[in-house]
Amino acid sequence: MQTKNPDIKKTKFTLLEKIYLPEILKGLWYTFKQMFAPNFTFRYPDVRWNPIAAFRGRPVLVERDDKAGERCVACGLCARVCPPMAISMQAVETELEQERHPLTFEINMLRCIYCGYCEEVCPEEAIVMSKEYDITYFSRESAIMDKQKLLVPAESVKDRLDFLRKFKNDIRKESDQVANVQP
Amino acid sequence: MPELILEKPLAELLPVPSGALVEKQLKTEEMVLNMGPQHPSTHGVLRVELLTDGEVVSKATPYLGYLHRCFEKHAEALDYPMIIPYTDRMDYIASMNNDLAFCLAVEKLMKLEVPRRTEFMRVIVVELNRIASHLVAIGTYGLDIGAFTPLLFTFRDREHILSLLEWLCGARMLYNYIWVGGTSHDFPPKFKERVGEFVRYFKPKADEIYRLLTNNEIFIQRTRGIGVLPADVAINYGCSGPMLRGSGVKWDLRRDDPYSVYPELEFDVVVPTADECVIGDCLARHIVRAKEIYESLKIIEQCLDKMPEVENFDPQAAVPKRVKPPKGDVYGRAENPRGELGFYIISEGNTKPFRVKARSSCFVNLSTLPELAKGQLISDVVAIIGSIDIVLGEIDR
Repeated sequence: MQTKNPDIKKTKFTLLEKIYLPEILKGLWYTFKQMFAPNFTFRYPDVRWNPIAAFRGRPVLVERDDKAGERCVACGLCARVCPPMAISMQAVETELEQERHPLTFEINMLRCIYCGYCEEVCPEEAIVMSKEYDITYFSRESAIMDKQKLLVPAESVKDRLDFLRKFKNDIRKESDQVANVQP
Repeated sequence: MPELILEKPLAELLPVPSGALVEKQLKTEEMVLNMGPQHPSTHGVLRVELLTDGEVVSKATPYLGYLHRCFEKHAEALDYPMIIPYTDRMDYIASMNNDLAFCLAVEKLMKLEVPRRTEFMRVIVVELNRIASHLVAIGTYGLDIGAFTPLLFTFRDREHILSLLEWLCGARMLYNYIWVGGTSHDFPPKFKERVGEFVRYFKPKADEIYRLLTNNEIFIQRTRGIGVLPADVAINYGCSGPMLRGSGVKWDLRRDDPYSVYPELEFDVVVPTADECVIGDCLARHIVRAKEIYESLKIIEQCLDKMPEVENFDPQAAVPKRVKPPKGDVYGRAENPRGELGFYIISEGNTKPFRVKARSSCFVNLSTLPELAKGQLISDVVAIIGSIDIVLGEIDR
């Protein structure tokens, strides 16, 4: 039902406000000041944003320190825990000391939701979240990333590995030891 | 037919004497007008079918389902921890609150004790997220009404909150931070100080944002007395959150069905007063949101003081290795920025739930739209939808 709006309480103005000119100048002065205030934005494609170590970007496979392959031992935990089932792998035996490694390892980036569970469960720190955030594809096929596309040297994700050791894995290992002491 | 307000009967106002003839000539046809799903003021993909008579809406029917992602069916196929990233995606403006509601439900089912420090950490992040959500609501509401400036102000300050939460858990909107029995990360060093800094920085800014819209006469003209929802109707529809409090009902789950550490904290349940607005109108709902920001700031300050410091704290210590609740069912709920979010979970004793039902606040609040929009002008329907503050991710799930 159409109802009449109730009356609006009018604000009482002082004489200075009624003259109006000082108020305009006040507004202009405020606008003028903003020109020298620090920016809240940056010009994105030219100025790139560098995420912090905690940032969860594209998941990547970490290369072994001796560059002989990937750290991954193809245990399949990440594929098991992935909520949208984006990860698939096939395990084979290898000559390396880790004995097992993935023959194929695929992450469907169209499915990935960047939750970080794969990194969380990985016992070898082999899959970590990198800092890459603007990921685009020209076709659906190119969005399915294979081992070659996923593999990165450990130096390039050093920030993240340090972060994980400092804030996640070290603490966890300590508490595990404490739990072992008290049976 | 809506009632027109005229000083005299219509026939007397018109020069033609014959009343019956005028009635026949002036009879207009009702027109069906589709608002949405791409209408910017619907905050997403909502379609409202309006039956209009001239510019007056005689019937408004919301149609949902454009953003349906099968959350409930999906949840049946996933382990409990794996559902949490999907709850993030329900109300994507306030993901932390969704996680908390789901985790509370599962913890209730498992009878899990959460460390005290974790409880405080959860409350701090949830209240930060509530402020961010209200800032979006206020900013976009101004945008709906035609005020562009508040949006820039609110998004500037929301950016600080998002940066804080990103530092905490690595994502800006879909956090996956609150887990069953704990959280994914501990607070980083100096995080508490930064939150305290933010609260001190934000208090004067909150005043500024409050005055910017609530003292604006154009804004008041557009919202005062529009879409009045009486308290009894609001209760009958099952409204919650600012929608219900805007109608003058003091109902807040944080106070009335307290969870986490809320009983120890002091805060007010905001209800509008009659001298600043008509109780239950769009302006009242806006004022409730704007004032709740102060309450959230109060809660964060108290939490920062009371939060216990633990050496080498492991936030995942209480997280069970296998989340496997016993057989049974549970309804866990929490106060979201938009109202009561509840999860009804039936467990068969497996690692996967048998059924998860989400009671989303936006869906219930939106169901009052036909009641509110009836007899209003089309432009006021925009103001009403904006004041309900819907997030389509939560309505369609």
